[in-house]
Amino acid sequence: MLTLPAWSLPYIFAAVIVAFTALIAWIVGLVVRGAMGQSAPQVAQGARRLATVAVWVVGVLLAVQEIGISVDVLLVVLALVGVAAILACRQSLENFGAKYFSEVYTPFKVGDSIEVGPFAGKVIEINAISTVLLSSDDRLLAVPNSMILREGLVNVSPQAWKELTIPISVPGNRDIAPLENEVMKSLGKLRPRLDKRFPPVLTTRARTPQSTDLILTVMIRRPEDRDPLLAEVNKRVHAAIERTRMSVVPAPSPAPEAAPPS
Amino acid sequence: MAKVRARAESERRDPIQVCFNSQTPLVQFLAPSDGLSGPDWGSSIDLAQLREGVDYRFSPGGVTRMVYPLIRTLVAEEALADAHWVSLNPAAPKTVRIPGLTLHNVALPADRMGGYGKAKEAIWSTVHGLEMADDASDLFWTEEFAEYAFYNRISSERIRALDADEDFDLFYIHDFQQLPVGEMIGSLKPKIFRWHIPFEAHRIPENWRATLVRYLDAYDLVVVSCEAYGRGLRDLGYRGEIRRLYPYVDPDEYSRPPALEVGQVCRELGIRSDDQVVLVVARMDPAKGHDRAIRALAELRPSHPRLRLVLVGNGSFSSARGGVGLPKSALWRSHLEAEAKRLGVAERVIFTGHVSQHILDCLYERCQFTILPSINEGFGLVVVESWLHERPAIVTDRAGVAELIRDGTNGLLFDPDDPDALKSQMRRLLASRRSSAHAMARRAAETAGQCVIGTAARAERDLISEAVEG
Repeated sequence: MLTLPAWSLPYIFAAVIVAFTALIAWIVGLVVRGAMGQSAPQVAQGARRLATVAVWVVGVLLAVQEIGISVDVLLVVLALVGVAAILACRQSLENFGAKYFSEVYTPFKVGDSIEVGPFAGKVIEINAISTVLLSSDDRLLAVPNSMILREGLVNVSPQAWKELTIPISVPGNRDIAPLENEVMKSLGKLRPRLDKRFPPVLTTRARTPQSTDLILTVMIRRPEDRDPLLAEVNKRVHAAIERTRMSVVPAPSPAPEAAPPS
Repeated sequence: MAKVRARAESERRDPIQVCFNSQTPLVQFLAPSDGLSGPDWGSSIDLAQLREGVDYRFSPGGVTRMVYPLIRTLVAEEALADAHWVSLNPAAPKTVRIPGLTLHNVALPADRMGGYGKAKEAIWSTVHGLEMADDASDLFWTEEFAEYAFYNRISSERIRALDADEDFDLFYIHDFQQLPVGEMIGSLKPKIFRWHIPFEAHRIPENWRATLVRYLDAYDLVVVSCEAYGRGLRDLGYRGEIRRLYPYVDPDEYSRPPALEVGQVCRELGIRSDDQVVLVVARMDPAKGHDRAIRALAELRPSHPRLRLVLVGNGSFSSARGGVGLPKSALWRSHLEAEAKRLGVAERVIFTGHVSQHILDCLYERCQFTILPSINEGFGLVVVESWLHERPAIVTDRAGVAELIRDGTNGLLFDPDDPDALKSQMRRLLASRRSSAHAMARRAAETAGQCVIGTAARAERDLISEAVEG
């Protein structure tokens, strides 16, 4: 019978903890995704990532403790760095967070005309810190994103109330043609509740090798349908993302020369 | 002087890198005649290694007839760098190399082709004023339109991937099948859209208008084939740049075969030397109005017993087996054959199907005049072909080319909705003195000068430079 040396046992336990952590992180991810099926895909993805990271942090700390390293000092250092970072970047973080939430929940986009407190103009940029407006007298106005959340805004673009915009983020290698196709077919079922003059539109906002950021725009017919439709559209988008999970763009490879057919 | 200097400056500029996009591919690859599965073309091939007429053929139709000579001319002038051309071509290698040009073929999965074909036919029929399906106004919400969007998305993704390697200066997108591409590629680089089919705002369903305008707004410039279509776009609500540029052909692609060769072709088709030949060159499609020509022939037969109607053309890429595969061409031909039989003129109508350029040239030389009987026609380049052969044409007044015709001077016009109009104009031409018909044909040949590559290449080059310069 094989006998393991005593010094190796903590490492084996640590490895088992890491394996368990991976399993639990995966399960938690699934649970969060299911629970947030009617939220904006970008929010659901963020929540899932947060929950998964939290499980991994706990798991790794337990594994580290298992092999005899004290995590107390590590935790104190991490906490101090965190507090310092929050204090130093409070304003920026506030704006950054506000941008994230306004992107998902506030009904305006680049190109809209909005009024925020004393400011009014056409939105020409939404960055991590502020929303940039072009005023009617050609001046640039930078409105802090936190101010938009605090003060509220008036979107004075024609028919702005009709517009639902849903940010979607998918991995960079995802083939978006099948996703768009699924979304269009699925939302076709909601057409009695949507403005028939404006079919769903999926536009690409940003692309990196890691992710593709898309915006889905649909136009509702009646203002009172806005909330239930937003939930229903989100649900259908989640389902479309799931159905097309396997559709990826093949990595480019050099094209071999073909001989002419005989 | 300043203009001349500016032109000279522009001519010294680096060649412009353009990516062209159309649904119809320049080259269609031919399946073996035994009906067995075709050869494996691999992923990339040089066209020079293949045989025209055996392995491939150049696609018939106006778009490819225009774009290829344009690329050839501008690349030869070094106004363009070697170009790239993306189109739908499922039964083809991924890329095909031709001097000055690389063709990139997009494959749409077979299970999506039917839906795509239905959606684009619904757009085509509506814009051409043909009978609209009951649910056509809801087209953009259908599964078929989702396939149309799918095709446009995969085309756009292919163009984007190419752009990442080639860093194009301009995207030049052709025709309604590709309309969403401008928005889908999402690039900030200049984009030109060429609208080839008719455009009258009153034919566009209310539910389509906002979407069409949104797609058009993604382009820096929209090119139309006649002034009237530009007014149609304005009526729709499009406020961007519009240019009118007549479509064009390369006269070097046409020849005037000697009488001996013309006689041989006619004998093979059963045309007698004393027949009065009237020619219609148009693909088999209800929008082309062949039935009107057959009815006019039947009514003129008692007074002109030797009159023969020759119908040249079969399906477009939409009907081709290796293309979209819609059955409308075969259905329309069966309908026309039945109609000719019913009217007692079956033996006076010849259906040639698709013919080689040489046979087509022979038929132009043999005919007395040509007819373009379409219910609605984007432009009508076959009229220009007829003019290049110095044959007068009777043209529907619903074609873009009608804008160039002064009735009785360089051609004859007719209203396709007037059942007697075509017959009257045919009678007028058949009764005219030989000298006056020749004079009309000569004036028509002069008019053709506005629709040839030499004139158009200059205009296209200026258009492209202007778009790139902003």
